[in-house]
Amino acid sequence: MSAKSSGFNPQSKKSWGNYPYWALPLLDAIAILAWGILLLKYWFTGKLNLLIHPDYFWLVIVTGVILILMAVIKGTQLFRSVQQRSAARRLGRNIPQPTTMNQHLTLFPPGWSGGLLLATAILGLLITPKVFSSQTAVQRGVTDTVTLTRSQPQAFRSVTRPEARSLIDWVRTIDVYPEPDAYQGQKVKVQGFVVHSSTLPAEYLTLSRFVITCCAADAYPVGLPVKLTQNRDAYPQDTWLEVEGQMITETLEGKRQVVISAKSLTKIPEPKNPYYY
Amino acid sequence: MDQLNNAFTLFLSLLVEAIPFLLLGVLLSSLLLLFIDERKLVAAMPRNPFLGALVGSCVGFLFPVCECGNVPVARRLLMQGVPVPVAVGFLLAAPTINPIVIWSTWIAFRDQPEIVVLRVVFSLAIATTIACIFSVQTDLRPILQPAVLRSIPDYKTSAQDLGSVLLQSGNFLLGETGQPIRMDATILQGSLSATTANKPLNYKLNLLLENMVQELRELGGVLVVGSAIAAAIQVLVPREIILSLGQGPVASIVAMMVLAGVISICSTVDSFFALSFASTFSGGALLAFLVFGPMIDLKGIGLMLSVFKAKAVIYLFALAAQLTFLLTLFINLHVS
Repeated sequence: MSAKSSGFNPQSKKSWGNYPYWALPLLDAIAILAWGILLLKYWFTGKLNLLIHPDYFWLVIVTGVILILMAVIKGTQLFRSVQQRSAARRLGRNIPQPTTMNQHLTLFPPGWSGGLLLATAILGLLITPKVFSSQTAVQRGVTDTVTLTRSQPQAFRSVTRPEARSLIDWVRTIDVYPEPDAYQGQKVKVQGFVVHSSTLPAEYLTLSRFVITCCAADAYPVGLPVKLTQNRDAYPQDTWLEVEGQMITETLEGKRQVVISAKSLTKIPEPKNPYYY
Repeated sequence: MDQLNNAFTLFLSLLVEAIPFLLLGVLLSSLLLLFIDERKLVAAMPRNPFLGALVGSCVGFLFPVCECGNVPVARRLLMQGVPVPVAVGFLLAAPTINPIVIWSTWIAFRDQPEIVVLRVVFSLAIATTIACIFSVQTDLRPILQPAVLRSIPDYKTSAQDLGSVLLQSGNFLLGETGQPIRMDATILQGSLSATTANKPLNYKLNLLLENMVQELRELGGVLVVGSAIAAAIQVLVPREIILSLGQGPVASIVAMMVLAGVISICSTVDSFFALSFASTFSGGALLAFLVFGPMIDLKGIGLMLSVFKAKAVIYLFALAAQLTFLLTLFINLHVS
């Protein structure tokens, strides 16, 4: 780690405590290894799509591999230097400590930064990232406009049969041509999770999906109101539903808009990939 | 509990998104240290403050790093004796004025090309202006952190004037001449880079790895803290409070600048994020987000404090904020 310095500077003992010289480099190597494993674990378990947009998957995977390589090389070097030293000590010789750089930036005391990284990676390995729920949807405001998706014009398919459109296809289509009457009577079959909007009457629920453009930090919900024949309490928030029915025009919250008139509502398991991109 | 888990997911998503770019930045910064003869690069930099600021702002084209990666590079440039205006220009403009970011902004705002053009123009103008302002300060001691200052070639003598090297704390090596060398990485790097140019490749690769691990660890620690704060604020402050501010020409700019500072999103991907506000916010506000965010944000301030003293960071912050505000307000009032 650092050069033996007792002759020059008694203070250095304080900053390094009683750790052996290899303790901090080992911590670095383990922290980097843990992050590499965490990134690859997200990839293998398919959780990466809860965190970031698929376009950036390759970045994360490459990074994971590089981090693991770095940690392995670093660990091997450290192991060799410890071996060399103990061999030298047995022969009664004193070899200088490996001269590496330390104390790069001085924002944290030694060991804190590596510890922080390691702790975060361990938490990441223990806690599974969660799919955002209705609570986040309400907090972020479910909208039926998707200006965002203009970045992906190839996803706009006006020729699709109406019942083959996904929820996001509908929202995109309506966004491009907002006149509700244009969709009157078209068949609908969409999947999403239930949000109870406080501004809608009790027999309406909002069927929602989250859209991610880059990472979970910018996930935002889109949704369409669904008209039920009964009180919405039969379908608690966050239930995943497949709704079949047809489009009608209604005036809700003082605004003429497209509403799904539900014929059948089927409970479905949460999709493996709950977000739209 | 639900909130906590949401915050944790956000926190991890910011980290997972940022770490590849951090690694790229650290890699480029380490390559710069070992494989580029910086003395030539430094010597090529114009000494004229304005030209220096302009050149520094455009160096980002050579080092396509986002704001997670530009601080180590700027720090290294400073330690190699690059004039302050060049380094400040680079620090502020590099996250925006580089091919990757311009490309991603173009993808996001294809139907509003003026946003892409104005983002580049404004970033360049602001970075150059601030860099020129910093060039007025010729005494670097009040601006830079002592650790950085000590390794600047021109300042070595004045640092030693402070007293015998041995009176300072730290670890020491006996150098070849019998002079004690302080085992401080910043100094070591300063002297190393001057000597590594003709060392064997194996030795260089070892140093490369060593340097990458060091920077990754330290900057990673800062990134963890910054992302944690950003995630906590995102979950704790309801978004509608920030969004409801966003109607008027002035309020929307201020709101977007606050959001840019809080959300700490990487400049390579922030245009996609800004796009989600394209319908609700004025064009000026979007520009404010895209120009101001890469320059200053929560996690970036932590990194900047490793180079500059707090006072200098406050000046950087205030100047960048004011200039962004004025330019984008002009757009809101007179153009769109």
